[in-house]
Amino acid sequence: MRARKIVRRNWLVHWRSRRSSLLLSVLTPVMFLSAMGLGLGSLVQERNAFGGVEYAAFFATGILAASCMQTGFFSATYPVMSKITWQRNYEALVASPLSVRDIFLGELSWMGIVLAQLAIPFLAVMTLFGFVHSFAAVLAIPVVILLGLACAAATFAFTATLQTDEPFTWMFRFIVTPLFLLSGTFFPIAELPSWAQVLAHLTPLFHGVELVRMLTLYDLEVTALWHLTYLLVLLAAGIMLGIRNLERRLLP
Amino acid sequence: MTPSASSGSDALIVASGLSKRFESLIAVDGVEFEVRRGEVFGFLGPNGAGKTSTMRMIGCTSPRTSGELRVMGMDPATHASEIKARLGVVPQADNLDIELTVRENLEMYARYFDVPRDTAAERIDELIDFVQLRDKATSKVDPLSGGMKRRLTIARALVNRPDLILLDEPTTGLDPQARHLVWERLYRLKQSGVTLVITTHYMDEAEQLCDRLVVMDKAKIVAEGSPRQLIERYSTREVLELRLTDPARKKLAASLDGLAERAEWLPDRVLLYTPSGDTALASIHERGIETDSALVRRATLEDVFLTITGRSLIE
Ligand SMILES: Nc1ncnc2c1ncn2[C@@H]1O[C@H](COP(=O)(O)OP(=O)(O)OP(=O)(O)O)[C@@H](O)[C@H]1O
Ligand SMILES: [Mg+2]
Repeated sequence: MRARKIVRRNWLVHWRSRRSSLLLSVLTPVMFLSAMGLGLGSLVQERNAFGGVEYAAFFATGILAASCMQTGFFSATYPVMSKITWQRNYEALVASPLSVRDIFLGELSWMGIVLAQLAIPFLAVMTLFGFVHSFAAVLAIPVVILLGLACAAATFAFTATLQTDEPFTWMFRFIVTPLFLLSGTFFPIAELPSWAQVLAHLTPLFHGVELVRMLTLYDLEVTALWHLTYLLVLLAAGIMLGIRNLERRLLP
Repeated sequence: MTPSASSGSDALIVASGLSKRFESLIAVDGVEFEVRRGEVFGFLGPNGAGKTSTMRMIGCTSPRTSGELRVMGMDPATHASEIKARLGVVPQADNLDIELTVRENLEMYARYFDVPRDTAAERIDELIDFVQLRDKATSKVDPLSGGMKRRLTIARALVNRPDLILLDEPTTGLDPQARHLVWERLYRLKQSGVTLVITTHYMDEAEQLCDRLVVMDKAKIVAEGSPRQLIERYSTREVLELRLTDPARKKLAASLDGLAERAEWLPDRVLLYTPSGDTALASIHERGIETDSALVRRATLEDVFLTITGRSLIE
């Protein structure tokens, strides 16, 4: 696997520029969970709406999935655009024996590592807060990584077609933020009007959140397979389209 | 075994009817050329002539639209990785990894080429000396001067010990010292048996470095040969450059017969193409035409270039 070499390069750059990132990735969930989860959670006494668990736990699982989605989206926007047009790292890479496929898969693998660096400390902190109700919760880590990667691959495919970075602002405002808010992150989608519920069912975050909650808070149900299939299909489609678009871009 | 092993000929690159089209624009239009092992081969031509497009097809980073192309005996359409493994590329604009140091740039690139680590370390040390960046080895790339970046890009193109190096305007934007250093290094590479393909806008560079070259204009090859052959074919041996007053200019125009094979009337000068500049100058004085200044020089590739591609800028 030549893609490994890309991971190596990103690791070197990452390690140098963000040595503090591990600390940060522990502090972020601590702050989130104590401020929002516990603070807000103490006001929300209702339990039935959240499947019989305390609000803070419900919220924590939502934030874990939503952060991974957001990281997935983000890592395939400006950083990728920069390597295509501004710094043209990819141009240097395609002149070597690496193929566009190697480059795409290498970058995506690296994004997976970044997601793992986010998800693992987050879940550890959640466990310390007592928000994890099952050993199956460990599986939430690959699930949120899958969620993040599915979003990253799809975004990468989009970024590869762009001439300017303008659409990113638009994308964050009208796609990522609504997804963040309306996919059952902060409250169950049953509270939404029915048309919005239908929309929510189409979003990757909804499926990611549902899976994470089944694994950490509730019991696993057969519908888990459907959620998993959705994410895997999105990832596969993102990879295929992404490699095709990047080839068109880098090998004009 | 790669197909190249079976190709007995000395041609490292063979192109025929090679074309590149970007939607409606034809960037390269049916060009034909052959680059032989061990030579320095040049592409000259005005902006937009199709030099970079041709180089990119050779470098397997732009698929050809039609025609035939073999690089080291292999087809870029089917053997891109194998070709690129034996290729060094210096792109028109630097694309170094600005988040890494000078040395790391070379180390990473060596990895992309699967150069074993020990070999790479040794080679990189040599290369850093070769391009005279020893003092900068641990510095980040961003603050380096243009000339240093260019040298690093050249070093990077050498980490895999390529058989063929593609250099797209290697010295554009460099000061004279830096250019001479690059020329000298390229000359040494040639001596070590590497084949170089180079594009340039500097005619002195082409004249010094290239064994053979082609001139491209509007997507086509319009001339081909060694610098000397081209000068012989498209120019006279010498050029007489005259600065004249307006009346003298008129007088010269009226009695040009037999003075030169060709005359070019520039706003500030008149160029007379002639086998012997001194003889021509003597006859001009005999005819009673006064010259403000007169310079006899050998014809250069620049004269050829301007003759072939024209003096006016067509955009
Ligand atoms: N990726 C591309 N998409 C569309 N058109 C392109 C692309 N690359 C090059 N062209 C066009 O192809 C033509 C030839 O360009 P090319 O870069 O090969 O010229 P060049 O001889 O290298 O010029 P210069 O001396 O300015 O570097 C130009 O008209 C250019 O605009
Ligand atoms: Mg060019």
